[in-house]
Amino acid sequence: MNAMSFGIKRGVRFNILSDSDLERIHWGTLHVLEKVGVQVDSPSCRKLLKDNGCEVDEKTRIAKIPSHLVEEALVKKKKTITLAGRNAKYDAKLDLNHSYMTANGNGAVTVDFESGKRRPSMKKDVANSSRIIDSLQNVHIHWPMVSSTDQHPSVVHLHDFDASLNNTEKHVMYETGVTLSDAKTLTEMGYAAAGGEKEYRRRPLSSCLQCTYAPLQHDAGVMDASLYFADAGVPLVFFGMPQPGATGPATLVGSLVVGNAEVLSALTMTQLHAPGSAVIYGMGNAPLDMRTTIRAGGSPEHAISSAIATELAHYYGMPSCVGVSATAKEPGDQAVMEYYTGCVGPLLAGADLMCGVGLLEDSSCLFYEQIVIDDEIVGAIARLIRGQWADDETMALDVIEKVGPGKNFLAQKHTLNNMRTEFFMPNLVDRRSFDAWSQAGSKSMRDRAREKVKDILANYKVPPLEKDVQKKVDAIIEKAKKPMWGGESKTH
Amino acid sequence: MEDAVTRLRNAVMNYEMETIADLAKQSLKEGVDPLVAIEKGLAEGIKTVGEKFGRGEIYLPELVMGAEAMKAALAVLEPAVPKGKHRSSAGKVIIGTVQDDIHEIGKNLVATMLSSNGFEVVDLGVNVQAADFLKKSDEVKPHMVAMSALMTTTMPRMAEVITPLKKKNKAVKVLVGGAPVTDTYAKEIGADGYSGDASGAVDVAKKLVR
Repeated sequence: MNAMSFGIKRGVRFNILSDSDLERIHWGTLHVLEKVGVQVDSPSCRKLLKDNGCEVDEKTRIAKIPSHLVEEALVKKKKTITLAGRNAKYDAKLDLNHSYMTANGNGAVTVDFESGKRRPSMKKDVANSSRIIDSLQNVHIHWPMVSSTDQHPSVVHLHDFDASLNNTEKHVMYETGVTLSDAKTLTEMGYAAAGGEKEYRRRPLSSCLQCTYAPLQHDAGVMDASLYFADAGVPLVFFGMPQPGATGPATLVGSLVVGNAEVLSALTMTQLHAPGSAVIYGMGNAPLDMRTTIRAGGSPEHAISSAIATELAHYYGMPSCVGVSATAKEPGDQAVMEYYTGCVGPLLAGADLMCGVGLLEDSSCLFYEQIVIDDEIVGAIARLIRGQWADDETMALDVIEKVGPGKNFLAQKHTLNNMRTEFFMPNLVDRRSFDAWSQAGSKSMRDRAREKVKDILANYKVPPLEKDVQKKVDAIIEKAKKPMWGGESKTH
Repeated sequence: MEDAVTRLRNAVMNYEMETIADLAKQSLKEGVDPLVAIEKGLAEGIKTVGEKFGRGEIYLPELVMGAEAMKAALAVLEPAVPKGKHRSSAGKVIIGTVQDDIHEIGKNLVATMLSSNGFEVVDLGVNVQAADFLKKSDEVKPHMVAMSALMTTTMPRMAEVITPLKKKNKAVKVLVGGAPVTDTYAKEIGADGYSGDASGAVDVAKKLVR
């Protein structure tokens, strides 16, 4: 095993759904698409579906999609997807054998690292969190974690992308390509950062996650943008977000059927429009908490839903992208419990992309400290899912014979050769004795996380985009600025 | 045998969405004053349901079903209210999700919670254009306009409503909410209140509309 390869190599896989369960879910979904249909708000997407034999009602905007179109889309889609980094050592190959952790994305609030005050997020938060993500070993794909709300409202998301590109060399996935014009500008920025369209198409250093709308709806802007991205070589994730009991049936499997119908119909539209385009299977089937009305992002139901969604994605031969978050309001016990629960379930079931670390209040509030705590959680889980096997090296019969009864293995070469890869060496978990811990100031995990963040922000450097590339990026952002309500250029 | 008003109150408390309309018709046949049936029957019933939800004794679907039952009975009773008379309510509210945003559930929850707390709610649905918010508010003359946006990209749409709305009618209060919306942002665009969740929205609404 090559311990230096990028991503988390998996050697363990839990099986939750049987093959016949998966087949039932698939056939049930095809039934929904044929009989119930999906609401498609984009006129051009409705035309595309109608031209290809779907029954489309222009009044209700509902399209009924025959099974063969879905089955054909599953055959046509791109087979192997690599999410490239600005630096090639961070290329994430979605080979269905590796898991990749992403940052969480697009919160609007940050708890200021210096003052501890809650405030609207700013571009500097996007830059700082990007740098933290770049430095972490167990987070492989970046997302702009919060929005640059201090920038002009029409180009907030472009500043998010700009700050991300300049502060991490890892792949950047965004979720803000929700209109055709957004898609065009974000693509143009990606091409500029990659050194041109040709280079970008070979190694796409960005991708777009698109949410479908539960139950069974496709937003016009999102789908028009998606078809553009598919043409332009920008990999897509279609992410279903039914909430069991609210926007999906209360049963997790029933809700998965709703989300699956959304994802498969979006896949069908992209493959009809741009055959062979790259689509990742996304699902965030987290229930609504029935007492507080908050989405339960760190619940065991979300974890198991993400696990079975991953099994369904693999049944389709697609990499999965599933979610985790926490409803905790501050870093610490509850956040750790929610993130651990939310990550371990899907990763044990083989999740390919797990999004993402570092946001609280169900993906809306950024605490810098939580990013590095979550990195530690993923590190522990990576060890848990690596797998165990029996060969000459792991059996170590020769060493057992050499040491014999009553001695120890500390001074053996076999120990030296294996200890750095066999044992997960924690960074924030404190395993010292009580005396040693109290003499060093009785620091909590959160205190230690704070120190780690401070160190990263002070010392960790990421090479920015080259000057001429930056000039192009700046020009694209400037050109995209338009008058908008609620911003500096009110027209009335 | 319970009287008609008690039966209506219990039907809301027992979430009898399918049968409550018949009970309402029956009460009118028996000569019950529709205003009494609404205020002492339905409103009292939904108030109890709302309180139980607030204490965590019942779950969201039960609250929603209670509100649905109330709606079904109102559809029968309201047309029978004599012209010129109005049911007393905590206030009149127009609610909707802003243009280009079709997220529904948060807005629906707030609407449900408001009506379970005695507000009269006019729900405009999702993807509501600024012009429609303005037109409806001219027509209905609400105490409060409530708007929801779930995406950072649609948040600015709320400002698009507030400025002209306040220009026309200074007294009308504006409540905003939705995942990306913050207290600071709400103030910046001239909203009177903000809430991060549905229960909180009721408290803010009660403070704004007195």
